[in-house]
Amino acid sequence: MQLNPSEISDLIKKKIENFDLSTQVHTEGTVVSVTDGIVRIHGLSQAMQGEMLEFPDHTFGMALNLERDSVGAVILGAYQHISEGDTVRCTGKILEVPVGEALLGRVVDALGNPIDAKGPINCVETSPIEKIAPGVIARQSVDQPVQLGLKSIDSMIPVGRGQRELIIGDRQTGKTAIAVDAIINQKGTGIKCIYVAIGQKRSSVANVVRKLEEHDALAHTIIVVASASESAALQFIAPYTGCTMGEYFRDQGEDALIIYDDLTKQAWAYRQVSLLLRRPPGREAYPGDVFYLHSRLLERASRINAKEVEKLTNGRVTGKTGSLTALPIIETQGGDVSAFVPTNVISITDGQIFLESNLFNSGIRPAVNAGLSVSRVGGAAQTKIIKKLGGGTRLDLAQYRELAAFAQFASDLDESTRKQIERGQRVTELMKQKQYSPMSVAQMGVSLFAANEGFLDNIEVNKVLDFEAALLSYFKSEHTELMDSINATGDFSNEIGSSIRSGIETFVKTHSW
Amino acid sequence: MNEIATLARPYAVAVFKRAKETNSSKKWSKNLSFLAAVLNDNVIFGMIDDPKVGRDRLFTLLLDICADQLDQEGSNLLKLLIENNRLNLIPFILELFETYKAEDEGFINIDVTTAYAFTKESKQHFNEVLEKNFGKKVNMKVVVDSSLIGGVLVRAGDQVIDGSIRGQLQQLAQRL
Repeated sequence: MQLNPSEISDLIKKKIENFDLSTQVHTEGTVVSVTDGIVRIHGLSQAMQGEMLEFPDHTFGMALNLERDSVGAVILGAYQHISEGDTVRCTGKILEVPVGEALLGRVVDALGNPIDAKGPINCVETSPIEKIAPGVIARQSVDQPVQLGLKSIDSMIPVGRGQRELIIGDRQTGKTAIAVDAIINQKGTGIKCIYVAIGQKRSSVANVVRKLEEHDALAHTIIVVASASESAALQFIAPYTGCTMGEYFRDQGEDALIIYDDLTKQAWAYRQVSLLLRRPPGREAYPGDVFYLHSRLLERASRINAKEVEKLTNGRVTGKTGSLTALPIIETQGGDVSAFVPTNVISITDGQIFLESNLFNSGIRPAVNAGLSVSRVGGAAQTKIIKKLGGGTRLDLAQYRELAAFAQFASDLDESTRKQIERGQRVTELMKQKQYSPMSVAQMGVSLFAANEGFLDNIEVNKVLDFEAALLSYFKSEHTELMDSINATGDFSNEIGSSIRSGIETFVKTHSW
Repeated sequence: MNEIATLARPYAVAVFKRAKETNSSKKWSKNLSFLAAVLNDNVIFGMIDDPKVGRDRLFTLLLDICADQLDQEGSNLLKLLIENNRLNLIPFILELFETYKAEDEGFINIDVTTAYAFTKESKQHFNEVLEKNFGKKVNMKVVVDSSLIGGVLVRAGDQVIDGSIRGQLQQLAQRL
């Protein structure tokens, strides 16, 4: 937009005309010390916990410690220009970030400022980053699925809208890959996604953004970044920022999915802030309220009923429930899930997807450990077809795990044991899935049906995925109507079963793979 | 500074209570401000932490300086502070003592910065307005500072009422 100088001066004139010359009343304090982004302030006797404080040069901070003679605050952003003796003002506001549809497709920092060079974001509303989660009356039970598009997860560890499902595993086990696939699979479903990157390398974040762009999934996604180079305070508040942006959609009667990648780093950042604020350290040097740090965040992921949506939108939206599904990520060290933060988050969430590095290294990707992964509420939310067919898969894998140790004595085993082992091997193989290729409900249904009904038993283990790919492309071209109807309703009946069976039978007879 | 305030508080409370008991807050106020003024001197300040100057010597030295200004209780406080190695607290004790005193007497200390000096009438009027506003008697200290351009800036503790042109210009600058 080009403005000529006279227009600019007109604009300024107008602003000056409308400028309300009021006498300002505020509370002031003085900076006593600055240490690694933590400021001690003398005065400010009126400051509130979590209040935004104004420092010189448009820098803002957040009051965290209210003591008898001083206030401990963190500075949000660069703190190099703040020195002893600077005056600090109370703003009387809790920290707020912009929310709204305009954020979709954008990359923002922990305060909601755009960092993707696509110009300013026109958000009308702002909302405080710390809010109390919806109460019992406002909630509705989880009974609709979020399809992550991954066979192994959707069939065995289903996630429902409004659920909190933890993704946990060592480094390099494909945690982020699952999250990115989940976002890609929400394309066209109306579920808005928020990806919060905490303490990550900027290059990794850029990679995720590029991949989402490539798969046309950025348009329904907000990316909140507090990278490793940003201050600990920003890394600490970034998840709350993302959550507030997601809650906006929930409260409008829409569905949203938020991914916190990862909460271990947020706990680290919070530990740093707490120790610098001289709060007493506890286990693993974390402060006493590190459980509350995560529980209050994850509690905000919820499904709210239509009445609550109506109330929140002042009657503008009626008859629609809203949900915010959370997929927090936790990185373990050497597979140790009994460390402090992992146990906390496991106990807060409604289940976990456990990823193992030896599975990953032996080529099973996604490296989901089906035995240790659970979903406590998702079962109620599964589509009929996946529920019906996925149960068999879980059972096959469980039996296979018990017998797997005997696999090397293959020739000496009785017939039924050998069959179990072979079935297990094939199902394990079938659960592998390439990155960035989420599957629809119908595709999963056909694959699972083939496994359950023994169509895979005569196929060599290393050919299973080729068989599946050929089968699915055959169904896509020859049985488009059937697939579309399954995708639309998710229903399963004997009729559908028999048409899938006849389809597979014809395919086996007429095609090679 | 916050820690120093915490350390100074019990001394200030004790002095204040003693002053109230003996009805001698004016004298105490003089005692403390004189001590603070003495300690403000660089030579004396350097001696506080000087290992070569013993406690006894420091005490006699300070007592010598303050001889006719300090009463018996005042010198007792001085001795106590030297024994506890807390001599550097005196300015803070004075500050807290004055706040307690003002609070007790129903006064509030207010610093007023103004761009132009008040006339007697306008000062009187302003005083009345402030008293009405804070609901307390006002102990006004007026400083003239032309950098405000116009208007006044009132400071009571950490509460600030900014009615100056400078403040308004800053607001305007932020808005633009």
